[in-house]
Amino acid sequence: MQAGEKVLTATQLGMTYGQRQALRGLSFTLGAGRILGFLGPNGAGKTTAIRILTTIIEPTTGSFSVAGIDSSDPHGIRQRIGVLPESLGFPGRNTALEYLTYFGEHYGRSRTESRDRALSLLSEVGLGGRHSSLIGSYSRGMRQRLGIARTLLGDPQVVFLDEPTLGLDPRGQQELVQIIQRIARERGAGVVFCSHQLAEVESVCDDVIILNEGQVVADGRVEDVTARKGAVRFSVVVDPPYVDEAVRVLQSERFTVSRDPQVDGRIEVELGTEDPDQTLEIRRELLRSLLAAGVDIVAFTNEASRLEEVFLSLTEGVAS
Amino acid sequence: MTNEHKRSEGRPKAGWRIVLRSELSDLWIGGKAIIFLILFSLLLGVMAFLFATNKELSLTPPAEALFLMVKTTLAVGLLFGLVLGADTISGERERTTIESLLLTPVRRRDVVIGKYLAALSPWPAAMAVAGGYLLLIAPDGATFVSAFVWTGFVGTIIVAAFTGFGVLVSVMSATNKASLSTSLLVYILFFVPTQLPGSAQAGVVGELIRRVNPLDAVNQFLDKLLVSNAAFDELVSWLVSPMIMFVLVVLGLGLVAPRALRLDPPGIGALFARGRGAVVLALVMCTIALATASPSQALQESTGQLTIDVDLSSQEVKTGDTINFQTRVTVPEDEIGPWIVAMNIVNLGDGDPVDPEDWSPLRAQTIEQVDASRQAVLEWEVNAIIKGDYLVYMVALASPASAGETSQPVSSQGIHLTVEQFFRINPGGVLPLAIGMPLALSGLLYGVSRARRRTIDSEVMN
Repeated sequence: MQAGEKVLTATQLGMTYGQRQALRGLSFTLGAGRILGFLGPNGAGKTTAIRILTTIIEPTTGSFSVAGIDSSDPHGIRQRIGVLPESLGFPGRNTALEYLTYFGEHYGRSRTESRDRALSLLSEVGLGGRHSSLIGSYSRGMRQRLGIARTLLGDPQVVFLDEPTLGLDPRGQQELVQIIQRIARERGAGVVFCSHQLAEVESVCDDVIILNEGQVVADGRVEDVTARKGAVRFSVVVDPPYVDEAVRVLQSERFTVSRDPQVDGRIEVELGTEDPDQTLEIRRELLRSLLAAGVDIVAFTNEASRLEEVFLSLTEGVAS
Repeated sequence: MTNEHKRSEGRPKAGWRIVLRSELSDLWIGGKAIIFLILFSLLLGVMAFLFATNKELSLTPPAEALFLMVKTTLAVGLLFGLVLGADTISGERERTTIESLLLTPVRRRDVVIGKYLAALSPWPAAMAVAGGYLLLIAPDGATFVSAFVWTGFVGTIIVAAFTGFGVLVSVMSATNKASLSTSLLVYILFFVPTQLPGSAQAGVVGELIRRVNPLDAVNQFLDKLLVSNAAFDELVSWLVSPMIMFVLVVLGLGLVAPRALRLDPPGIGALFARGRGAVVLALVMCTIALATASPSQALQESTGQLTIDVDLSSQEVKTGDTINFQTRVTVPEDEIGPWIVAMNIVNLGDGDPVDPEDWSPLRAQTIEQVDASRQAVLEWEVNAIIKGDYLVYMVALASPASAGETSQPVSSQGIHLTVEQFFRINPGGVLPLAIGMPLALSGLLYGVSRARRRTIDSEVMN
């Protein structure tokens, strides 16, 4: 499987429940080694789409293929995907090793092979030392990691992760995101990543699809989608004693500024334009003003508008 | 992280074995099945102890006591299978573990088969436990073997049918609550008629209901076989409805359950949707037709002359036992009646001749009217008074129309009655088994859970 090679292709997928159209004309492709963020407010059709793509339900219209296997062969597809559903239950009285060994056998491995594979995967997700503890004693973060290990049992070409970081503390989220990145970058699997944590999606995903009321309202590379909407930002980090002076200078130049409450000395500057030529000129002018005022600049970065803003503007009026 | 493992192509060849092994592990190593066996052995122990020591119950003839034990074994084994079956899929839905299972390449039919077989697994163990108690209660080795083999055979049919029904309901249900309540309701519907008094089960409709109800039919089969010593070929029609239920359930598990095994269940109503209900009804009607058309009846209707048959060929009893049987008299089309049926008992040994009036409250009965098929059925009761070897036979004759006329009596086949001296169940043997069996099973449970804990701990240490 080569990087970028298409591992998932969806064509005009649709799903109707009675009179309600839960999904309309969903089409996209996912390349090997890429992470696709799947976004949308509650009821937008994300879970329906995931369940269709993972062969749990059949679409009323359209088709899809995974690694060249058509959706008319759900068994073939199940051999090539790994799925972490949003609400995944675990048998609390089994150990993680027993659990993974059992599921590993479902992929045609012998018991011994399956056990070895389980040990290897548990080690990869950081549960090597707890492989024989009862799952009932696991924290939520450990269960999520176990769930991810389970998705990798069949060496999948596409991995679906539905809200994998939900309910985890920041460290747990960070560790899980790193595991997800490794699945894509090192294993070369395509990853479909559903999350409500938009900053997380923005930082980890290559591509994004935003669904609203069953329809795609935005899709493409993350930077392309975020560039479509909202003002371009600059972020300036100054030596903390110079923060007040820097804010005064920038406001006098009629920039909209705000201090980052989490990073002392970091100031965000909104420019109100997306034109690359204009932003370059404005950035030079901004730097000149700060240097002229004697402000000690530590760092200076360009930032596109955040995915959250794009998401909110595209799904406006939808209760999530 | 390197992808050092080659991706496995194809699903497992026998996915049901993987599912079965996992389910068996949950059931047995998890302790649920062993706890069931402990409770079951306690129940049988109490029953055996009461039969042996209670002043009134100890007078129950051994064959009757044996049958009650068999009936209890069936009822409990069947109920446990039904409950386990009802938990199989809806339990996974409730614990939100079903999606993981559906997302693997294992065929859904394999999932159903594996879970079904696991839910059946306590039945052989229950039979093994019951074997000890049956051996204790049975009057002799041959009766024990007969009781054990036949209970095992028909019990497997009925337990497999009800367990499978539980699985079917579970596949269709979203929650265990719905699945269990539906399954238990159906069980009660089948069970209640078996508890009605004999008079409520008499007559054509009563017999029809008993034959159509698979639970009752199995009980009738074993009762007649173990208590009345009836021959198997006379009783085979009682197995029709259990067999039909078994076949229907297996078809449902093979054809309906895999398609209905989804994340969101289709609902119990789907079991009977789209004409399936009509098929079920048609098959039930076939059951009724088959069950009511017993071979002996068909034979009698075709003779066209006065005949008399009994539904018992031989019986071994103890002094004090009561033997019940039926005679079926078929009269010619042109004969008016009334007809008289009389009982005779011949002592085949050396003792005194038997006076039937000492042995039966009814020495003779008169038939005033016959039914549309020119038949009449009479109930008889014989009390075994003295130890010995006897032949009971029945004589039917038409009452002569006038003083100058006579009629030709006809005789039934004989009922060979072997009467042994009454003995009480050995109370000395009951108590050790009644206490020992649950203790042994508790020890097994302790051993299994200790071994499991040790495995977990030692692996953590490693």
